[in-house]
Amino acid sequence: MRAEVTLEAELAAALEATRRDAPPPDFASCALRIFAHQFERNAPYRAFCTRRGISPAGVARWEDVPPVPTAAFRRVDLTCAEPEAVFRTSGTTDAGARGRHLVPHLALYRASALAAFERFVLPDRFRLACVCLLPSRPESSLVQMCAWVGEALAASVEWIVDAERVLDRLADAETRGDAMLLLGVTAAFVPVFEACRTRRRTFRLGPASRVVDTGGQKGLRRPLSRAAFLRECWTAFGIPGYYCVNEYGMTELCSQRYDSVLDDRFHGRSLAPRRLVAPPWLRTRVLDPDTLADVPAGSPGLLCHHDLANAGSVSVVLTEDVGRAVGENGIELLGRAPGAPPRGCGLLLADLEP
Amino acid sequence: MRETVAALLARVDAAVAARRRLRRRPVGETIAALERAAARWRADTALAAALPVAAALSGPAIVCAMNVAAEAIDAATMTDLVEREWGPGAARRPVPDGPALVAHVLASNVPALALPAVALGCLAGAAMLVKSGRHDDLSAPAFARALAAEDPDLAATVVPAYWAGGDVAREDAVLGRADVVVATGSDSTLAALVPRLGARLVAHGPRSSIAVVDDAADADALALDVALHDQRGCLSPHVVHVVGAARRFAARLAAALDVLAARMPLGAASVGERATIRLHAADAEWAPRAAVLAGPGGTVIYDEERPGHPGPGRRTIHVHPVDGPSVAWADVAGGTIECVGVSGIDVQPFVDALRDLGVARVCPVGRMQRPPLSWPRGQLPPLGVLLGRRTAREIQIGT
Repeated sequence: MRAEVTLEAELAAALEATRRDAPPPDFASCALRIFAHQFERNAPYRAFCTRRGISPAGVARWEDVPPVPTAAFRRVDLTCAEPEAVFRTSGTTDAGARGRHLVPHLALYRASALAAFERFVLPDRFRLACVCLLPSRPESSLVQMCAWVGEALAASVEWIVDAERVLDRLADAETRGDAMLLLGVTAAFVPVFEACRTRRRTFRLGPASRVVDTGGQKGLRRPLSRAAFLRECWTAFGIPGYYCVNEYGMTELCSQRYDSVLDDRFHGRSLAPRRLVAPPWLRTRVLDPDTLADVPAGSPGLLCHHDLANAGSVSVVLTEDVGRAVGENGIELLGRAPGAPPRGCGLLLADLEP
Repeated sequence: MRETVAALLARVDAAVAARRRLRRRPVGETIAALERAAARWRADTALAAALPVAAALSGPAIVCAMNVAAEAIDAATMTDLVEREWGPGAARRPVPDGPALVAHVLASNVPALALPAVALGCLAGAAMLVKSGRHDDLSAPAFARALAAEDPDLAATVVPAYWAGGDVAREDAVLGRADVVVATGSDSTLAALVPRLGARLVAHGPRSSIAVVDDAADADALALDVALHDQRGCLSPHVVHVVGAARRFAARLAAALDVLAARMPLGAASVGERATIRLHAADAEWAPRAAVLAGPGGTVIYDEERPGHPGPGRRTIHVHPVDGPSVAWADVAGGTIECVGVSGIDVQPFVDALRDLGVARVCPVGRMQRPPLSWPRGQLPPLGVLLGRRTAREIQIGT
């Protein structure tokens, strides 16, 4: 067995085990081990580090592993081995300008995605009927993740984009008193809300139904605040705000952050501020754009994610997102750096438009 | 308290009346008063102390910007301008009949834009409304005060004002009175004005500048062009095309920017603005055949691929090797380049091509950010455009 498979398989097993309450891998030591692995096997990343005079021998802290900007994923293939899957960012009609994340070990992505989803969306371990408001896009990492969620963590899964068909499905669920998991990009919920208004139809889905949305404002034809989104979820579906979980992910990462609301509620922290929290194998630093040093707690800066589940490509990714730290392990997303190209899964739907 | 529309209109009416009282006055008196007022304005220490915060530029950068703005209001240039419009000896005569009211809607990217606006309006014999940009609502009132100290009658023709953009009712009421409205701003700002003002509008949209030099060019001079106004003006170079050893020149330019930053630091910027610069440089680091030289003075990106234009600003400049000068503007879209700074390059063979491209000014590097009042911005004659000459396509060479 090749060395990189051993490392990634070992990590996949460790993340999978967290679903059975095993402790997560030690972040700091894993991060350094992964950096050495990536330095050895990822040639463009090694060249980037070498230009800066950085090698694993000189890096003693995980915070000193050099970050790669998301733009680099548009320019080079950053992988440690032959990929099992290639995921592409959404958001531009110029395919050459889209980022590519080559994932050599899908099992690691799967283990990370499912463990985090279960922890932050299904802490009660319920298995709900899942409707994905997403188009079928094999190159989308979000679609892949939702497929895994449907297979492993749901009672059933359906993929529906058309708003009228979604309403039909909701009516059916309401009649039977089923609880549902509605999963999709934020922009995909808007036509469903509009269809509800047009038909003067609202639903009361079964208790513990929940919404998971991602993508935020991206792809929306007009702005929709978070508060307005949560209000619409209550009005249209009868799903209260504490069962509406926002997901923050990106094509370049194999791990995701989630709205803390359900995790907090199930752990007696209902009054804690809503924030985006991560599983223990994903850490996010908030950096001063000039120095790339950590900003004081609570100050805004560029978000830089360190994802151990990215062991097969590059673990430290400097994003185009501006945010700030909130509480322990939490972040708040404040927006995109001005001039950064539009991208993100919210634009998956735009790809469908003529 | 916010000034009412009625109160603002009353000030405008008073300025138009004041303008009528000056109709018999030789324009030379106006020129002299403007020059004295500019000198007085330049010595305004309270303004120099307040502008860095308003304009988000460092104190030394503001002092430099104030010097540049004041130096441009010189009697010789103003005399040349009026003689160009009205013939020899024009400065000894009253201004021929022209627009009663000129309105200037100033951009907010660069401070002290009020000075040339007021000066040109006065030379045209018009009363003037000067609507400041949101990052410098100080310079126009300060210049009006300086003018009042030197020539109260002339100062009475000037109405400095500020209101937040998008106040359509106020804009329609006030700008609707003007014979000419000179507006600078984003494409969306200007697009909102076009249908409301029609032919009375002189619009200056976003533009930027480039430099074309040989590898022996004075890097210190070009660094000054890059650094002034933190690269926010339309005369700020964003790309320098180098004939010869471009990579070496990039290193010299980076060093020059760092040295300059020690005496003229960058101004304050938001996290978002700084993030944009960081990400631009981070992207360039991964580009093929590119190198990033980032320091405290700014970011120089040596880029063998043709860079996009303009860059993100804040002293970020691309250095691009070219075989010859004409390659520099071969693929540039018309109407996007305001100024071409040159060094070691004979531009005479290319003047017609540059004019066709919409370039308004060609000058030595080190002078790009120091335009004289005669600069034909957007290829329009600066005084003539207020008098109705809108079809000219002027290009200024060598000053």
